[in-house]
Amino acid sequence: MRVWTVAWNTFRESIRNRVMLNILLFAIALILLSLVVGDWSMGHQVKVIKDFGLSAMSLFGLLIALFIGIRLMVQELEQRTIYIIASKPIQRWEIVLGKFFGLAVTIAINLFLMALTLWIVDWVVEKRIDLGLAPAIVLMYVEILLVVGFALFFSSFTSPTLSAVATIVVFVIGHMSGFLRDYVQIYPDKGFHWLLKAIYYVVPNLENLNLKSTVVEHLELPPHTFGFGLLYGLGYIFVVLFLTVSIFERRDLK
Amino acid sequence: MANAVIRIENLTKVYKGELGQKSVVGLEDLRLDVEEGEVYAFLGPNGAGKTTTIKLLTRLLYPTRGKIWILGRLNTTRESMKHVGYLPEQPNLYGYLTGVEFLDFIARIFGLDAGTRKTRIGDLLHRVGLSGKGKQLIRSYSRGMLQRLGMAQALINDPALLILDEPMSALDPIGRKDFRDLILELKKGKKTIFFSSHILSDAEMVSDRVGILKEGRLIHTGKLDELVGSQASSIEVTFTFEPGAFPPSDLGVTDALFQDRKVMVRIHREEDLPDLIHRIEAKQGRLLSVVPLKKNLEDLFMAEIGR
Repeated sequence: MRVWTVAWNTFRESIRNRVMLNILLFAIALILLSLVVGDWSMGHQVKVIKDFGLSAMSLFGLLIALFIGIRLMVQELEQRTIYIIASKPIQRWEIVLGKFFGLAVTIAINLFLMALTLWIVDWVVEKRIDLGLAPAIVLMYVEILLVVGFALFFSSFTSPTLSAVATIVVFVIGHMSGFLRDYVQIYPDKGFHWLLKAIYYVVPNLENLNLKSTVVEHLELPPHTFGFGLLYGLGYIFVVLFLTVSIFERRDLK
Repeated sequence: MANAVIRIENLTKVYKGELGQKSVVGLEDLRLDVEEGEVYAFLGPNGAGKTTTIKLLTRLLYPTRGKIWILGRLNTTRESMKHVGYLPEQPNLYGYLTGVEFLDFIARIFGLDAGTRKTRIGDLLHRVGLSGKGKQLIRSYSRGMLQRLGMAQALINDPALLILDEPMSALDPIGRKDFRDLILELKKGKKTIFFSSHILSDAEMVSDRVGILKEGRLIHTGKLDELVGSQASSIEVTFTFEPGAFPPSDLGVTDALFQDRKVMVRIHREEDLPDLIHRIEAKQGRLLSVVPLKKNLEDLFMAEIGR
């Protein structure tokens, strides 16, 4: 119950934030612009529109996650609004989970509005709605939630700038996992390969959550690929939230 | 002990130094009981450990050593905070909410039902002087209004214990008076109030007992009337005299103030008074007033801190 109270308040804070609204409007404008970009392509208009649209959703979803994920937590600590809440009969884990679920709902609504725009654009061009994009959007949502989880995790013990940098590093490395693995296999004697190996095992492989090219190219999507991605992402979210709660529970709120 | 609303035993807080910095002792071996219905003022200069104590009471900080019981429960549990209201120093509240939305949010954390929330929010806004301002966004509130709303949120659960950190520091004289009145009204309602302050006159007006903290240690605690109210710390004697009747040295006191024909002297021992009056009368002086000056909290505070 208290988790939902905090979640509702977090959601209310997000939707009253003008910066987030601007990011959303910009994303929707860019997805609409894909009509023009698609027009320039030679015979691949539909594919380009979907590719462009999904990439825009991913990028702006990530921006919103970074922006509000870090800001919400750090703001609570820096502006000391947390004193009021944490001194009430509420557990610290309820605050962290409330923040996370509030952000999750905000991002779900944002992604839904962007997806709706993409489907409208798709309908204008194809005269049909390609629901085959849905699995990619669902996993994109899980990926963004995972990034939010990391943003909360880092901002629970470090500064906003460091949190933003660390979260972006996780995002970039997460999309380069395959490269890391190949590099360690090709050059096993390099002195720092243990470090790369450690990074490979700790940082989630975000490519497991990337179905964009599969759905755009209409390649076969076995159910276990989607299922694995979903469980993999949710599992990582659980671990990151667990660590965030563990740190936040022990932290002095100076 | 049976009625101790706050019980603190051997409470110590050491702030660990970061990146090679030395550790700092914020609070050392504090032992304190605050009884039911008492107004306890926690005094001390900046950095004495007042806010550290309050943050330890409200579970914002974890103690290095020691234990705290609130209303008979160890304060490590969520339930211990159910009947506590807390107002931080210069509170920052959620600027994107209106006053009503904010109070509703806090009331929901306490699990109050919709009917109680509605009634209590209306009552509290009226009580803290924010009637008609509840629909305004908090970011448009002045410092004083924030303090008043902060007090309203501290009272939303009708707490048995109120913990207030420098509640009057951001207020203008009218705001301070309103706050004092509110504390006195709550005192009448048998609430226990623990507050920190550096405004000694305010503390003196509302508190039953005071504790003085210096460099993380409680150096003095006791009932206010026992400490400051019972004895005169000095006596102020005013009289007139004929010009040239006697020089100041004849008075036998060093603390004298002359204005035209009027003299005001201050003596610090009651037994010196008859002798002084005798000297004045012997020189044809006319006694105007004899006023015993009571020791006030500021005298006590300065004496303790300066020790």
